[in-house]
Amino acid sequence: MSEPLLDVRGLTTSFETGQGRLTAVDDVSFSIEEGEVFGVVGESGSGKSVTALSVMRLLDDAGTVEADEVRFDGTDLLSLSESEMRSVRGGEISMIFQDPMTSLNPVMTIGEQIAEVVRHHGDVGERTGFWSEMRRKYVTGTSTESRSWRRAIELLETVGIPEPEQRATEYPHQLSGGMRQRVVIAQALAGDPSLIVADEPTTALDVSIEAQILNEILELSDEFGISVMLITHDLGVVRETCDRVAVMYASEFMETGHVDDLFEDPHHPYTEGLLASIPRIDDDREWLSVIEGTVPDLIDKPPGCPFQDRCEYAFDLCDRPLVEYELDSNRRARHAVRCHRENDRVRVDESGHVTDVPDEAVAALERRIEAGDGSSNDATVAESTVRADGGSPTGGFDETERRGDRDEY
Amino acid sequence: MGLRQYLLKRLVHSVFVMLFVVTVVFFAVRSIPGDPARLMLGGDADPEALEALRAELGLNEPLYVQYFQWLRRLLTGDFGESIRTGEPVLGSLVQVAGPTLSIAMLGMVIALVIAIPTGIVSSVKRYEIEDYLSTTIAFFGISMPAFWIGIVLILVVGVNVDAIPTFGYTPINEGVGPWLRSILLPAIAVGFPYGGILMRMMRSSMLEVLNEDYMRTARAKGLTSNLVLFKHGLQNALIPVVTLAGIFLAVVLGGVVAVEIVFGIRGIGRLLIGSINRRDFPLIQGTVLIVSFVFVLANIVVDLLYTMINPRIKYGGGE
Repeated sequence: MSEPLLDVRGLTTSFETGQGRLTAVDDVSFSIEEGEVFGVVGESGSGKSVTALSVMRLLDDAGTVEADEVRFDGTDLLSLSESEMRSVRGGEISMIFQDPMTSLNPVMTIGEQIAEVVRHHGDVGERTGFWSEMRRKYVTGTSTESRSWRRAIELLETVGIPEPEQRATEYPHQLSGGMRQRVVIAQALAGDPSLIVADEPTTALDVSIEAQILNEILELSDEFGISVMLITHDLGVVRETCDRVAVMYASEFMETGHVDDLFEDPHHPYTEGLLASIPRIDDDREWLSVIEGTVPDLIDKPPGCPFQDRCEYAFDLCDRPLVEYELDSNRRARHAVRCHRENDRVRVDESGHVTDVPDEAVAALERRIEAGDGSSNDATVAESTVRADGGSPTGGFDETERRGDRDEY
Repeated sequence: MGLRQYLLKRLVHSVFVMLFVVTVVFFAVRSIPGDPARLMLGGDADPEALEALRAELGLNEPLYVQYFQWLRRLLTGDFGESIRTGEPVLGSLVQVAGPTLSIAMLGMVIALVIAIPTGIVSSVKRYEIEDYLSTTIAFFGISMPAFWIGIVLILVVGVNVDAIPTFGYTPINEGVGPWLRSILLPAIAVGFPYGGILMRMMRSSMLEVLNEDYMRTARAKGLTSNLVLFKHGLQNALIPVVTLAGIFLAVVLGGVVAVEIVFGIRGIGRLLIGSINRRDFPLIQGTVLIVSFVFVLANIVVDLLYTMINPRIKYGGGE
């Protein structure tokens, strides 16, 4: 397997607030392969957007981002200087934000908003210094003869905007919501990225154009070989568009796997609950099913599973720090679950309820927790497990430790 | 709607605004106690002489007759004559307009040039030393009346720096240097409160803009923080500031009146206060009319600027 395009290990983002430390992203690991559509699904406030913004290093000073690794195309993003990071933003990785009404600048022409990305990340030989840009903005305006402007018009055409020459000279308020989101897509394509992070790209749009916009994003990314990280709270969208998906809850990735595996055979109780709450057209229930309870407070978050209070399967181990369990049976892609029910030694009955927690289960878990803090090391563990069949194991664990871990799977 | 049509509409509007202003002033000055004839002839004047003077000045006519007579003359461009000196009001106004306009304009320029950049710095360095320093200074500006700032400037600068006069006005045709020096302190005095207000507005407006989604978009495009701030933020932040800058011009115009007295400059303010003291009705009316005209005109200019920096607004509303 070739190296993934984006590989995030142990990403933790927290904010200092007046009430205490708020953990918005807690020990999250994932990877995105080239050309893949990776979905992150979760409810509002679960940390989906912050995850994306942390990778882009777009959080302001209030946020602290820590990670074992954020590797993009072989480069560690966290070790880049700010100016190196700027060439990644909008160039290698571009973003599509939720609300095209507010994410486009109201006082700049559409053409210029796209053209500036072309100028900064493309090879059009136009000056991008501060004073050149300021003169262009406030004195001369963008030349409609310039290469960046012509490229902007091409891009508008690509995303299906009629009369692109005319539209390029207009301002965002002169366009409808759907058209504006197309402009945002054109803007995201302008830097010729290899990854587009789409943060709820259709949430603010009319349902009738939602499908159009999604298709546009997916077709174009397919056409240009761009990977997509699709952040959404809409499971229907995930099912239809993603290759792999991560379910996020209260700042943690609860379950990650191939979209078909996850929908057909969910392992995490939260995923199960989410899937059960999707209304179905052939449903004759009077009440839709819901997950009882509310999301826990993320300020000074206690260790242990954040879902335990709402979980019908909760048992003794749920207070312990979560670790990632990898499911290895007939999966279409690596499938990881953060739920102690997956601990091999924990006995589970047919309904999914835990019947017995033998001491070995507790001991195995404690070994894993001691071996490293959380899934950052689990990832290494998982990898060495895979390699144990064919390749030579690597990684910094002593032999007994690793064997102990492997037994669990 | 074209620019010409829009301007025409605005000018018609301003005619009504000014008509309202002069009407209020006309009746207001006549309702305050004090009789111009008695003020001219002194407290122990002969009643018959007083009566004769009143008749001569037309003050015995019913108010509405006086009002319409004045309006009729105004329509022909005749502002009337000063009761006191008999000189035409318009002539006196033209004579004193120079210093007042010079001070007001320079004060505005100083305020804008300092307040806008300071407001930006303050918002970017929010809750840091730069912010505290500039908001504190701005707060002083807002809290202190212009004439008092003028007095302090005379005491601190004027007395210690010989090159800066503390009294009187040198017209521009006697040299730009002396002219500038003579209006520098009064201009600072009227500009300080105005600048303080503008700075606070610029700061809060920019703070709001910094949180906008499009600013995050701009950062996500990989632009430098300076480009994000000045290319994407500045114009948006200026939109509300420009409007309020027009409205708060009243602070400058009001400040000039008192500051001229402090610096012994014969300008519109001094003329106005003198004419109020002497109950010189035509002169008061004429002066207020001119000042309100300047204010209305300035706000038309501001609104034109506003449509330039905000593409969402078209002349006269609508799309």
